[in-house]
Amino acid sequence: MMKNYFNEHAQVLLTTFGAVFLALMIGLLLVYLTADDFSDALVAFFDGMFGSTYAVGASLNRAVTLALVGMGFVFASRANLVNVGGEGQIAMGGIFAAAMALYGGVSDLPLGLAWILPLIIGTLAGSFWCGIAGVLKVQRGTNEVISTLLLIFIGLLVVYWSVQSDSLLRKPRTNSSTLPESAEIPESTMLPYLMDDSSLTLHVGLLFAVIFAVIIWILLNKGELGFRLRAIGLNDIASRRAGISAKRDMMLAMFVSGGFSGLAGAIMILGEQWYVTAGFSSGYGFDGLVAGLLARGSVPGVLMAALFFGFLRSGGLTMEMMSGVPSAVVYIIQGLVVVFIAGASRFADKRD
Amino acid sequence: MAITNDVNELDKVPLLRLKSIGKKYGEFSALDDVELDIFSGRIHCMLGENGAGKSTLCKIIYGEEVASSGSMLYAGNDYEPLAPADALANGIAMVHQHFSLIHNMSVYENLMLGYVSGVLDVAEFVSYLINLSKRYGLDIDPYSRVSELSVGQQQRVEILKCLMREPRLLILDEPTAVLLPDEIDALLTTCKQIVAEGRSIVLVTHKLAEISRVADEVTVLRGGKQVMQCEFSEEQVDAMISAMIGSEIAISDLRLAGLSLAENIDVIATTNNDEKSADRKASQCMIIDDLSFVDERGNQCLSNITLEIKAGEIHGLAGVEGNGQTELGDILAGLSMPTSGRLYMPDFELTHATPSQITAAGVGIVPENRHRVGCIEELDLTENLLLSSIKNYSRFGLLNRKAMRDAAKILIDRFDVRAPSADVGFNNLSGGNQQKAVLAREISIESLRFLLAAHPTRGLDIGAVFAVYEHIRNSAKAGVGVLLISSELDELIAVCEKISVIYRGQIVGTLPADPQYRDQIGALMSGSGIQQRHSA
Repeated sequence: MMKNYFNEHAQVLLTTFGAVFLALMIGLLLVYLTADDFSDALVAFFDGMFGSTYAVGASLNRAVTLALVGMGFVFASRANLVNVGGEGQIAMGGIFAAAMALYGGVSDLPLGLAWILPLIIGTLAGSFWCGIAGVLKVQRGTNEVISTLLLIFIGLLVVYWSVQSDSLLRKPRTNSSTLPESAEIPESTMLPYLMDDSSLTLHVGLLFAVIFAVIIWILLNKGELGFRLRAIGLNDIASRRAGISAKRDMMLAMFVSGGFSGLAGAIMILGEQWYVTAGFSSGYGFDGLVAGLLARGSVPGVLMAALFFGFLRSGGLTMEMMSGVPSAVVYIIQGLVVVFIAGASRFADKRD
Repeated sequence: MAITNDVNELDKVPLLRLKSIGKKYGEFSALDDVELDIFSGRIHCMLGENGAGKSTLCKIIYGEEVASSGSMLYAGNDYEPLAPADALANGIAMVHQHFSLIHNMSVYENLMLGYVSGVLDVAEFVSYLINLSKRYGLDIDPYSRVSELSVGQQQRVEILKCLMREPRLLILDEPTAVLLPDEIDALLTTCKQIVAEGRSIVLVTHKLAEISRVADEVTVLRGGKQVMQCEFSEEQVDAMISAMIGSEIAISDLRLAGLSLAENIDVIATTNNDEKSADRKASQCMIIDDLSFVDERGNQCLSNITLEIKAGEIHGLAGVEGNGQTELGDILAGLSMPTSGRLYMPDFELTHATPSQITAAGVGIVPENRHRVGCIEELDLTENLLLSSIKNYSRFGLLNRKAMRDAAKILIDRFDVRAPSADVGFNNLSGGNQQKAVLAREISIESLRFLLAAHPTRGLDIGAVFAVYEHIRNSAKAGVGVLLISSELDELIAVCEKISVIYRGQIVGTLPADPQYRDQIGALMSGSGIQQRHSA
């Protein structure tokens, strides 16, 4: 028994790291083929990741966003629900957090409530957005993959609408070149930095990610809730017969899952961007989804994957600026990781 | 294809001869030494309970399964089909229980598939279809969509699909199971027309009432063995019933006698004396009152079921599978809601109760489908044992794994679940031990007062069968009312005090569980002996 268990885990780790390694190698090859100077490009890439305290801070902030979305994905997947709509939930979280920060009258509140309340509102907005898919799932049996995916497009258009419309978030037009974006949020509602060092832009989001990771890990692996979700995910009829309210728990899973992405969106606005533009979510929802997939249901795995992709993205951006290699290479690597892992597990399944 | 009309000659030489056909799946023997002759122009009925091997035999003839032993002769030649294509090439066609039609295509489009190629002449094909369907009395509109057809009409399309190939042998696997009474009449008439042309039919069924109207020959299978083969005659019907339900009364009674029989008769005697209404009221346990259920496809699965199970009584529900037992079980378990009627205990209304309310009322359910409803195989033994009481082991939302293991160990000991450890994966346990675990969970429900056990011993070895009935009987002794659903009449007679028979969703009779009534109960199970009821 023990041996089997060990083998299974070893195999999962092996395929995961193997897929990552292979994808990195192909990414390297692409850099080699496209860069004017291969070594310059690599230097720029590593500079972007670890070259300065600023770079590390930016990478970590990215990782926080990815980790939160990824944890939401893992939470829902425990109940065999697939929430692919992180991007849309980020959008809703960001809009509502910004609206609360700008017009919620929170900027004078003490004890950090000025930024905590917008974070909560953003979280709830994400929950609500994912909850729509949850209601459709439990009431009508609509496939949550489809509904969360389609809700992304609506969410992104809601962002566009809210920054275009004067009666919503668009900042007052002072001249003809005023861009369609929200006003900047008050300073008191911005997320505080963890350190005084002005070059390290690491904000409190990191604390949230770590704390929630611990909570989620305990809930899923030691808690009654995690057990119930697992039971539902494995066999919902037997779970219902055993008195587990499958509908309620599935709703809960979708709510929590969306909440994480909503919080990620709120943190993006309050922590780094400070105002809302159309397309502010810029694919983080999908990258977080990849982190969740890569982790295969493991919370520590999500953290590792999020760090990996967070740093990769920072490196890619710097490399693009310094040596002209498109940062799309990073996305190619990300995509290849998914393809390789899917392929490897299919291969492993066949062998059984 | 030419079909000889020389009936005399064909009467002597069978169209298809099966010689000691056997089929094994691993250790399990699905068919054992079956000898069968099928003659041209005859309807050969194959009778047997579920799992008797009828479908397997049909699949072997049709080339979907390959026999493990034995051989077949078809029209005088060796016949070794490896795939349905071989069977079809030889003029053997089969209508399965599950249809293979494309729902959003019309009837003629479905029938064209694989039959025509090149340039399509729809008009000619449709007129051919109309002729064909008239010839066999298979009334169908070629232009209607399959999705709009009733199950009976879809079956006609499937039969047409076979007849288009001008088969010499047509296999119908349980065709009447899904049909309404008048559709059955039409189907049987069609069968007669088909064999009148010199073709043969193998008709699989477990309903005797229908067989007596068309059968020329009858083969009865039980447990993969051929227990009877004869030309059909009315006088043989009783023998067929006992062959189908099992004629080893003596053996099986002995088998369960240790548990039950003598003692049960005493219990019947005492309960019969207790017919005073006040006592009855006091001992009521579960009342099913005029319960009806129509499923989402509009089938009337249960009609006006009324049953009263008393405390301390084991009440059997006999019936061939598929006569509404599954639906009744699901309703009692709270997994589906009755269309009308009531379900209650003296102090609990259960008609629309959720599974957890039902459990809280002291109702234990050992479901018919262990894998779908009874357990979660991917979880471990402890988790399955405590599935319905998991809240009791949760403090501040965290599970107390040690307390869970301790509680599980007590149940494992008490119910003799043979497992290497309490946290072994449930799917690593044998079926018998899985069933014991489910039983352990349901019987250990706090203040258990009623237990539904649906086919609790199916697929179990004899030791586990003993254990399961031991526990059920102990519960009854402790005052729990038990409803035992089974299609094994011997077991019901040995374990129960009263047996109600369900047929086509109706209770068609309630008799004391006494061997002297077994033939009568068997007749009720197969639907014969209630003809008057149908016409009335």
